[in-house]
Amino acid sequence: MKIKLTSIVLGAVLATGPALADLVMPMLSYRTGPYAVNGIPFADGFNDYLTLMNERDGGVGGVKIDIRECETGYNTEKGVECYEALKGEGALVFAPLSTGITYQLIPKATADGIPVHSMGYGRTSAKNGKVFSNIFNYPANYWDGASIAIKHIMDLEGGNINGKKITLLYHNSGYGKEPIRTLEELAIKHGFTYTGIAVDHPGQEQKSQWLQIRQNKPDYVLMWGWGVMNQVAIQ
Amino acid sequence: MLYREAGDFSTSYTADNQTFPIKFDRYRYYFILVIAFLVIPFFINDYWANAILVPFLIYSIAAIGLNILTGYCGQVSLGTGGFMAVGAYSFYKLMTAFPEISIMLHVLLSGCVTAVVVTLFGLPSLRIKGFYLAVATLAAQFFLVWMFNKVPWFYNYSMTGMIGSPERTVLGIVVTGPHTDAWAQYFVCLIFVTLCAVMARNLTRGSVGRKWMAIRDMDIAAEIIGVNPLKAKLSAFAVSGFFIGIAGALYFGVFLGAVEVTEAFGIEKSFMVLFMIIIGGLGSIFGSFAGAAFMVLLPVFLKNVFVGGLGWPTDLAAHLNFVIAGGLIIMFLILEPHGLAQLWRVAKEKLRLWPFPH
Repeated sequence: MKIKLTSIVLGAVLATGPALADLVMPMLSYRTGPYAVNGIPFADGFNDYLTLMNERDGGVGGVKIDIRECETGYNTEKGVECYEALKGEGALVFAPLSTGITYQLIPKATADGIPVHSMGYGRTSAKNGKVFSNIFNYPANYWDGASIAIKHIMDLEGGNINGKKITLLYHNSGYGKEPIRTLEELAIKHGFTYTGIAVDHPGQEQKSQWLQIRQNKPDYVLMWGWGVMNQVAIQ
Repeated sequence: MLYREAGDFSTSYTADNQTFPIKFDRYRYYFILVIAFLVIPFFINDYWANAILVPFLIYSIAAIGLNILTGYCGQVSLGTGGFMAVGAYSFYKLMTAFPEISIMLHVLLSGCVTAVVVTLFGLPSLRIKGFYLAVATLAAQFFLVWMFNKVPWFYNYSMTGMIGSPERTVLGIVVTGPHTDAWAQYFVCLIFVTLCAVMARNLTRGSVGRKWMAIRDMDIAAEIIGVNPLKAKLSAFAVSGFFIGIAGALYFGVFLGAVEVTEAFGIEKSFMVLFMIIIGGLGSIFGSFAGAAFMVLLPVFLKNVFVGGLGWPTDLAAHLNFVIAGGLIIMFLILEPHGLAQLWRVAKEKLRLWPFPH
C-alpha cells in the first residue's frame, strides 16, 4: 500500500513535469470505448491540425502549442481526472468532446476561470454569455442543428410540411435529448407531427425502435446518433 | 513481535470486546484517523481530491454496503449501480425541494430512501437464491436506470435529463457545487466513510451480523437454530441499501456535481463495486477499503506511469490498463481467492510470530 502510494506520488510528479512557456492545449480524446469510432478520427484530426500550426506557422504568434492528450473513454469520471490533471498543468482551453463531460465541467471551469470550447455540442443554453461566461459553443449548437434539419425537410417538401410525420431517433442521453424541445416547438409552428424514439447507450440494440418506426410510417426520420449507434442504424 | 497481545491486559468486558483488541492495531487505527482528519485536509489539492481520494472514499462506502449484503449475508447483488442512482436522485430531489435543510441530513435521508427501495427489491430473496437472485437484482438495475431516464419528475423536467447539484453549505462552508474547496469535499466524504465504517463494523460484530453470517453459511441450519430468515435477509438489504444510497448521494452531489443516469449508474458500476469486494475480500470491512483503493488507484497510477512517466500514446495506455487490471484480477482470484483482506490477515499472523517462523 505504502509503496503503491509513493509510486503514485512519483507518477504524479512526473506527470506534472517542468513548467513550459508553450501554449498548453489539452485534448480530451476517446480512442477507446463504445464511441471510439468517432473519437479516433476526431483526436487524430485535432492533433494533426495543431501539429500543422506548429510546423508551418511556428505555433500561434510564434509560441508553440503543447498538445496534452488525455484519454477519457467518454467516461465522466475519467474526464474529471483529466480535467484536474491538465488544469494543474496550466491548460488554456478545454474541449471536453462529450456532452456529459461538458455539463460536468461547465460549473467547475467557470469557477476556475478556464474557458471551455464545446464545439457544437454540450449545453445549448450556454450560448447566453451573460449566464455562462466561460463556455463557448460556436460554430453551431444542437438547436441550430434541429432547425436546420427541419428547414432542409421543408426545402425538400417545397416549403409546407403541415401534417407530415417526423420521427426523431435519439441517443438516450443528454446529447440526444437536447434537440427535443426545439423539435416540439417547431412541430407546433409548422404543423407536423413529432415523435421521439430513444435508443439506449451504447446503441447496439435498435430492433424495437425500428419496428416502431415501421409501424408509425413517418415521412422523415431524423437520427441523432453517435458512435456505434450510427453503424447499427445504417446497417 | 509487532503484533502481540502480550502485555496488553483487558480489565473490563468493554476493553475485551473492543474492535481492535491488540494495542498495536488500535494505535495504528488512531494514527490513520489522525492522518486522515488532521493532516491530509491541509495538503490536499484539487487533483488529489477529485481524481484519487474522494472517489476512493465514496466507493469504499458503496463497497461496505455491498459487502454487508454479499459478503456477510451471502445475497449476490448486481443492482448496486441502480441503487446508487436511487441515492443520487433522492438526494437531488431532497436538496432542490428543501434547500434550507442541511445537506448532511439529506445524505442520510437519501440513504434511508435507498434502504426502503433496496428492501423492496430484496423481497424476492426470500424465495430465490444464488444466481437467480443475481438476475432479479440485475432487473432492478435496469428498471431503476430506465425509470430515472423516463420519468421527468426525477430530474425536475430538465431538458437534457441530467441532474446537477446546486451550491449548498454546511456551517457556512461550501460542500457541493463548483466553488467547493478540495478539503471540504474530502472532509464531507471522510466523515461519512468513518461513520459508515464504524457502524458497519459494529453491526457485523454483533448479533445482527452473526445472524447474517449464519444465513450466508447455511440458511436452513440458521433457520433451525432460530434465525428468522425474513428479518435477517431484509435487514441486510436495508442496511446495505442505506450505505449504497449514501455513496450514491455523495457520488453525485459532492464528487461529480452533474450526472446522467445511464452513463454514471450503468451496469458497469454494479460490476465495478462487485469486483471491489471480491478483490478486497468478501465479508471484511478492511477488504472493502482495500478493494476500493485497488480499483480506483490502479487506473490513475497506470495512466500516470504510462502517459505521464513514459510518454506513451494515451490509447495504448488505456488499452494496457484493461489488460493489466484484468490480469491482476485473475491473478488475485487464483492466488488469493479470499482477497486482499486475507493477505492482510496472513501478514498479521506472520507479524505476531516474527522473527520466529513458528
